[in-house]
Amino acid sequence: METGTAQARAKPQAEDPKDPAYLKIRDVIYRISGIYQPEEKLYLLASRCARRMSAVKANTPAEYLEHLTMRGNREAELRLLLNEITIGETFMFRSPPQLEALRSVILPQILKAKSAMGFKRLHLWSAGCSTGEEPYTLAMFLLEESEKQLAGWTFDVLATDLNDNSLEAAKAGVYGEYALRSTSELLRKKYFTPHDEKRLQATDQLKSVIRFDRVNLNDDGKMTFLKGMDLIFCCNVLIYFDLSSKRKVMQHFHSNLLPGGYLFLGHAESLYQVDDRFHLVHFPGTIGYWKPPAGYVAGGKP
Amino acid sequence: MSKLDQIRPKIKALEAMPTVPAIVEPLAAMLQQPSEQVSLGKVVELVSYDSTIAAQCLRMANSPLFGRQNTETVRSAIVALGLKRIEAILMGCCLNRIVPPDKWVLDAVTFWRHSLGCALVSRKMAKLIGYTDPEKAYLAGLLHDLGMLVNTIACPEEYRRCIQCARDEHVALDRSEADHLGFTHSESGKVLAEHWKFSADLMAVIEFHHVPGSTPVAAPLVSLVHLSDLLCRLRGLGYGYYEAMGVDLAGESAWIGLAKHYPALANVDLARLTMDIDGAMEEITATVDAVFKPRAAGAS
Repeated sequence: METGTAQARAKPQAEDPKDPAYLKIRDVIYRISGIYQPEEKLYLLASRCARRMSAVKANTPAEYLEHLTMRGNREAELRLLLNEITIGETFMFRSPPQLEALRSVILPQILKAKSAMGFKRLHLWSAGCSTGEEPYTLAMFLLEESEKQLAGWTFDVLATDLNDNSLEAAKAGVYGEYALRSTSELLRKKYFTPHDEKRLQATDQLKSVIRFDRVNLNDDGKMTFLKGMDLIFCCNVLIYFDLSSKRKVMQHFHSNLLPGGYLFLGHAESLYQVDDRFHLVHFPGTIGYWKPPAGYVAGGKP
Repeated sequence: MSKLDQIRPKIKALEAMPTVPAIVEPLAAMLQQPSEQVSLGKVVELVSYDSTIAAQCLRMANSPLFGRQNTETVRSAIVALGLKRIEAILMGCCLNRIVPPDKWVLDAVTFWRHSLGCALVSRKMAKLIGYTDPEKAYLAGLLHDLGMLVNTIACPEEYRRCIQCARDEHVALDRSEADHLGFTHSESGKVLAEHWKFSADLMAVIEFHHVPGSTPVAAPLVSLVHLSDLLCRLRGLGYGYYEAMGVDLAGESAWIGLAKHYPALANVDLARLTMDIDGAMEEITATVDAVFKPRAAGAS
């Protein structure tokens, strides 16, 4: 954890990830977007930068760092780099530890608290659902649990995005091998039907769990009405927002969530110094942000 | 007679086992001295006592986890990493010998990944919060689960069942130990630590790392290791099975207590620290595989 570079050493690259400029690029990305890369993974960052470097004709990482920090189009360039960094993260069942935490820790906790108040309804929200991989994953997860701990409960997934094209694709629910790469044969058979030779189509039963809507997370009017959420998933969306917008969205998320609810971000995203109302809670292999119920006293257990 | 009393004679008998290096006790004494009072020659002598252990020490010292030194002699490793680090590395290598290769109940690689991970995270957190002795934090993290080795040797069959049960029920190992053995690795570890005359603060870490609020001494160090232990168990450097838990680390009483002594803790970027642990994972695994993986006698 000091200056480990073994993986970098083990994987031959055209770029030299040990170039100190990559550490600076990493720090700029972290400061502005909240996406963090540990030193051992700088070779990944280097390969993502390589594509942008050739596009802007930067010869060295130090020169590219200037594009990200000093040039007039630095914001646009950072956005393009972030696209490179988060590309390929949209497929179903992308984070098994997250689903395992939901199954074995979070759902039992939430179901217990809601049952005690006589509620038997769950609301999940995929905020920034892109082409729908996340909400369909959550819908499958919920349907699978409906015969187990969710027996007798009703549930839905709200799936929102700003981009109309993404939303249309999400509503269509047609997916190829990449999106389904981590979906088991069993679940494919249960929740999809063949669409064409290479793609599968989500069944009506699966779609019925999800409600699609166009929502701009910056739209205060609309955000104010999305209340009563148990879980919010917002993966690699806030990274494109500036600090004050991030804080505003977090404020909304906090009031959209019921007490005891959780917010999940992308696996490399951090809310450090963005928000201090949420409590960072660790589950095996994954992190969630928790809105403690009223009366929670630190020093106890969530 | 409590169950723990029944294993005391077994711990005494440990000393006579051929697998326990004769250097453990002088090494434990040396670890308690400030580095300026320790002679370089004496450490070189201890490390060189056993050629396998010396080779393991060099492999550890050259790991990228410590900044990759490329040292070829024990003496140059000490110069590069410092006396205290080499002593801690040596202690780890010695302890690995306590359990013969075919007698591991808890998988050796799993155990050492957790111990080394906890050592590294303890030292990293120590540095982040300005704790005065990061090397002591490293040693304390490395040795906190000493009692698991004791349990493995003293009651292997019962311990095997105990671990299986914790695994099946996704619960913490110390809870399962209390149910099945009548004592935990914290208690049995303390017995061995006493026997080897470990320092009071190391002993406190071994005895109280699951209940840091109960320690009479070294509360910051015990809290530090408690938090590192939790973090490791939550990032794939645990006991080798799924523990169903959600932990609000900054809400833990150990965190709150530690923050009173070290206010810088409040500014620690937990998400980043967590991702740094993930980043170090591959190298921790590689180092443990190279140094601690049990090998049959005669194999190198």
